[in-house]
Amino acid sequence: MSDGGAPKTPGTQPAAVSTGGGQAGAAAGQASIAAPPKTVRLEVDGRPVEADSRDNLIEAARRIGVQIPYFCYHPRLSIAGQCRMCLVETSDAPGRLVPGCQVRVKEGLKVVTTSPAVKENQRGCMEFHLVNHPVDCAICDESGECKLQDYYMEYDHQPTRIRTYKLNKPKREIFGPLVVYDAERCIMCTRCVRFMDEIAQEPQLAVVQRATYSLIATFPGQPLDSKYSGNTVDICPVGALLNRDFRFQSRVWFLNKSPSVCTGCANGCNVYVESRGTVAYRELPRRNEEVNQVWMCDEGRLTHHPVNDNRVEWARQGRGDAAESVGPRLAVERAVELLKPLAGKGGIGIYISAQSTMEEAAAALLLGKELGAERYFLGGKPACDEDEFLIRADKNPNTRGVKLAGEAFGVRVEDRPPEGVKAMFAMRTDGLSDAVAQRLELLVVASQNEDEATRAADVTLPCMAVYEQDGTLVNWYGRLQRVWPSVPAQRGDTAPGWLWVERILAGLGYTHQVKSTSVAFQLLSARSADLAELTLERIPEQGVVLPRLLPAEWPKRAPRPSAPQAPRGPQTTPPGTKVGDEASGGSR
Amino acid sequence: MTEYAAQDHDPLALESELPSSPMTVNLGPSHPAMHGTVRLVLTLDGETIVEAVPEIGFLHRGFSKSSENSTWTQVLPYTDRLNYVSPYLNNVAYVMGVEKLIGLKVPERAEYIRVLTGEISRITDHLTCIGAIGLELGAFTVFLYAIEARELLWDRIAELSGARVTVSWMRVGGCANDIPPGWVEKLVECLPRVLELTDEIDVLLTRNRIFVDRTRGIGVIGGDEAIDWGFTGPCLRACGVNYDVRKAHPYSVYDRIDFEVPLGSNGDTYDRYVLRLEEIRQSHRIIQQCLEQMPPGPIIVDDWRYALPPKKDVFSSIEGVMAHFKLIMEGIQVPPGEIYAYCEGANGELGFHIVSNGKGKPYAIQVRAPGFPILSGLPRLIKGHMVADIIPIFDSINMIGGEVEQ
Ligand code: SF4
Ligand code: SF4
Ligand code: FES
Repeated sequence: MSDGGAPKTPGTQPAAVSTGGGQAGAAAGQASIAAPPKTVRLEVDGRPVEADSRDNLIEAARRIGVQIPYFCYHPRLSIAGQCRMCLVETSDAPGRLVPGCQVRVKEGLKVVTTSPAVKENQRGCMEFHLVNHPVDCAICDESGECKLQDYYMEYDHQPTRIRTYKLNKPKREIFGPLVVYDAERCIMCTRCVRFMDEIAQEPQLAVVQRATYSLIATFPGQPLDSKYSGNTVDICPVGALLNRDFRFQSRVWFLNKSPSVCTGCANGCNVYVESRGTVAYRELPRRNEEVNQVWMCDEGRLTHHPVNDNRVEWARQGRGDAAESVGPRLAVERAVELLKPLAGKGGIGIYISAQSTMEEAAAALLLGKELGAERYFLGGKPACDEDEFLIRADKNPNTRGVKLAGEAFGVRVEDRPPEGVKAMFAMRTDGLSDAVAQRLELLVVASQNEDEATRAADVTLPCMAVYEQDGTLVNWYGRLQRVWPSVPAQRGDTAPGWLWVERILAGLGYTHQVKSTSVAFQLLSARSADLAELTLERIPEQGVVLPRLLPAEWPKRAPRPSAPQAPRGPQTTPPGTKVGDEASGGSR
Repeated sequence: MTEYAAQDHDPLALESELPSSPMTVNLGPSHPAMHGTVRLVLTLDGETIVEAVPEIGFLHRGFSKSSENSTWTQVLPYTDRLNYVSPYLNNVAYVMGVEKLIGLKVPERAEYIRVLTGEISRITDHLTCIGAIGLELGAFTVFLYAIEARELLWDRIAELSGARVTVSWMRVGGCANDIPPGWVEKLVECLPRVLELTDEIDVLLTRNRIFVDRTRGIGVIGGDEAIDWGFTGPCLRACGVNYDVRKAHPYSVYDRIDFEVPLGSNGDTYDRYVLRLEEIRQSHRIIQQCLEQMPPGPIIVDDWRYALPPKKDVFSSIEGVMAHFKLIMEGIQVPPGEIYAYCEGANGELGFHIVSNGKGKPYAIQVRAPGFPILSGLPRLIKGHMVADIIPIFDSINMIGGEVEQ
């Protein structure tokens, strides 16, 4: 597929076609055919299949639930034919085995995946893959999600016949900031090499040496420092490439996997957050063709750190050293006591960080309205570098959303450091500097992490992280996406930002009854034409596009929404539903 | 109060009959004779039982639900705790079901070991029942003899599996380990003593006037009615119905073994007792034949999809460690299907209804515990008898709380 020729107007899908299981956006370098896809009828194990003309045999078989095992094939990468695990028999080449990853479907083709020859090849393949494989499962992070383990049990399940020593290879090659490589575990599928060439488009990995001695390596002086290096860990079917941040932190079967949206930048990549208790361990990409396909960047893979570290855990009052934890009730009472005399008298500002969910922003705006706030400020993390693919310069997940919320409430949200106010309520304190905070006579904050502003605040209320609560975010091009509580355990006094506001409003004597995220969302949907008819529950797992917000200019390779927006209907996918196999972007 | 006061002054009151309005009495659940922890709500007319409602639930452990959340192998410890007096038999019935679903053929030696341990369990089960019946009718010596014999066998079981009761020793495809060296000799040494003790019990009880009076013609049930209630095992055979799963549907290697199925004729407490005594002797015969016929060889299938690899392979080969990991973490992959597997438990037909959806854990498991229908029939057995008859009748059906309540 050629990206240069991709149309600039949103809503048109690039027309290129490739083997890739009919998945849009499959990689360059694959056999591309110009003709539009059509339906091809063939037979797999005697059962009829209606396949897409772009399908290879693996994908065609998958359509009727027949699994052809594979290591090196990946629907979004070019075909390598490295592993030989996918060999099947076809009517085109009787008596011979052909790779299911490479052979395209054909009208009337008969495919056999269960013949003795196919089975014997699968068994033999596994045996060869394991000849030099180390006895590492007990200390291998991949254990539990390893294709070798799965396929061994399914296709081989026999004792070793090797009576010699195994070949020793480098065990812990630091490839780059996020990735470490174990050559002994590598099965030389070259998925990682192809990913770096074709998707990241930074060829930083290569195969070196020959035959049994071959291994993957970086080039001298050039570490694997691409911003997408973490994806190689996901697509590595075994434990050869590992995430250094996650390494030895937890066994994968202890983790709860739940869908969310990355908070690392404005792209809003769909992710799974994996957690145990109050601790989030890692983020994995979740498939969304129109946002991140099946990839995500390395920065996003570290977004669980602010969830785990340096948290504001207990509600407290008092500035700096005078601060004392007083519990949520007294802290709210104190905030009310301080804010009440100022209500309606002017000089009040509301600060909303773009790290807040829509619901938190809505609640903060409501508080501003009730207090008669004069000015509203947009906060957030400072901008940083961007690229043509997934990474956006804006490092906040909800800048568009906060602006949209401001419009809904009919106020101007100023994108500048706060000034000209005496008292301020801050919904999350990202970007709120010490200097600004010190100048204020009164500062009440709801904050997730300790920082300069929380030290200077008169009342500090511990706010839940986005990964810990229900809510919505709007990404850079105007896609409204749901988040769910992915880290379900309660930490300290933490509560969603909108709940703190509701408690303060109740103390001030206002009865808005914002008792749930849905109600908080209704604060916006009732006021904004863009969100009309939407309720929190009706937002599908893959999000909805708010057409008015779509930009005119698109970064060259950024995934974009497909043409017509589906009419808004009731949500069909319940949260927590696992999307298909290939979808997590993982090794499956 | 006033009534009594009136009677005190009425000379005729002493001559009148005792008032006989029905009285409700609880027997159990913590009555020493209600072993297995069950409660009987009795309606009495004087000493006569008008109605009895057994109430279970004091030992409920959620067997089915627990099993659905465990791998196929992890279910085994739960089966131990069904009939905890003869756990091997529960183990065997369960693994037989799983093996049937998979279509697995178990090595011959393992089959013999299963029969051997099963029959030892049957003896311990019957000894417990007979000991209790003697004890509760005042023959304390009988209890001591029975328990001595039982402990001799439980010691052998402990040497085999490491536990007297919670053995968990069978595995899908065979059993956990081979018989340790010297064990057979020990078993052969202790069996005569077990028989000797059984004979002594026989002498003490079977023609004992008190015992016979208290048990003969008590708790009688006819064969057809027992079948209607769902009785199996000794309680059914005491009525003269010849149904023993080992003969009717021979499984394992029972078809190669020569033994008899003793039958009663009256279906009363006495027959149930005598039958168990005789079954102990038959089990002894089976054990001896097993020891003679047992071939050497593997004790579990040689297929790493079902049997854990030997530790040597787990620690030194990637194949072994992967198989071990998958079996422990995800469980044996049992093909989808539904099956009813059954064997002759100590109290009757012990069946497992197993449903698999092709995963490493059972989709559903239900147990046909022999004790359950028999306990349901208890009110029928005791109705019309005196309160004192409840105990021998209840003893003779050998209710085991673990299997009845699962
Ligand atoms: S890569 Fe897979 S098979 Fe190899 S040690 Fe790791 S978990 Fe085990
Ligand atoms: S490191 Fe992983 S992805 Fe790369 S070639 Fe080896 S096994 Fe394949
Ligand atoms: S998947 Fe076809 S050769 Fe690897």
